[in-house]
Amino acid sequence: MTKKIKLKISARLLKKKLRKDSAGSSKHCRFCNNPGLVSEINYKNAGFLRKFLTERGKILPARISGNSCKYQKMVSREIKNARVMALLPYCATSY
Amino acid sequence: MLRYEMLFLTIPEVTGDEVDSIKSYFQKSVRSAKGDMLSFERWGKYRLAYPVNKNDYGVYFLTRFEVELENRDALLKDIRGSYVFKFNNIIMKNMICRLDEEASLEYKRPESLEDTPQDVDSFLKKNDMEGLLKPKAGFRGRKPEEKSIVGGVSADQETKAAAPAPEVVVEEEKLEVIKDTAE
Repeated sequence: MTKKIKLKISARLLKKKLRKDSAGSSKHCRFCNNPGLVSEINYKNAGFLRKFLTERGKILPARISGNSCKYQKMVSREIKNARVMALLPYCATSY
Repeated sequence: MLRYEMLFLTIPEVTGDEVDSIKSYFQKSVRSAKGDMLSFERWGKYRLAYPVNKNDYGVYFLTRFEVELENRDALLKDIRGSYVFKFNNIIMKNMICRLDEEASLEYKRPESLEDTPQDVDSFLKKNDMEGLLKPKAGFRGRKPEEKSIVGGVSADQETKAAAPAPEVVVEEEKLEVIKDTAE
């Protein structure tokens, strides 16, 4: 049995490389080195937390919002607290 | 001393007497646990993100208090019991949080329906007078950001006005309560 060696680069990898190049400058976390903004992360401050929700009320992934892991955990925890108190929606629908 | 805060949501038809009874009950229980009541604020009426007990609107209250570690468990048990057994017709949701003692008491909250002055454009839209609306030049189809209001006491004010503050707060709240009942 001889193994076939792939000489071609697959289309998926090519696309991935293209996407990386086209993104330009990488996203940065808005909370890192910004202690004033970190203090705004609180379940009572629902207007601020709304920035990290989609239109349907889902939590934005860190991949899109650009948050670092530490602050993404803080934000998602506070959003979940605010949802319990009916300040933010679990699922945004007109009722 | 450990610092705690409670945020609770009441039914929209809550009366001034009911608020007074809740407030006096909390003050009594905190005092019996040898703690200090720091504040009792009325946020105002809000449209809820989802209906709670078939109510689309609700009134939020925020209270803060300090207790020693020894009496903490008994006090929290007492307060949680009061939510379930005593005020279960009035209070719909509640949350008790531990606060950092060194952090300032300032906080931000969303704008309530009571203290938002009505915008001209929204008024026109509501009353079917959209013909009078002028299209804005810089409008890009993006939602306006929600404003938030700063509440609580800042760190330097806190130490200065520790003693006379509670009396003033009580008077203001009474006025608000009277307004509510009149409405």
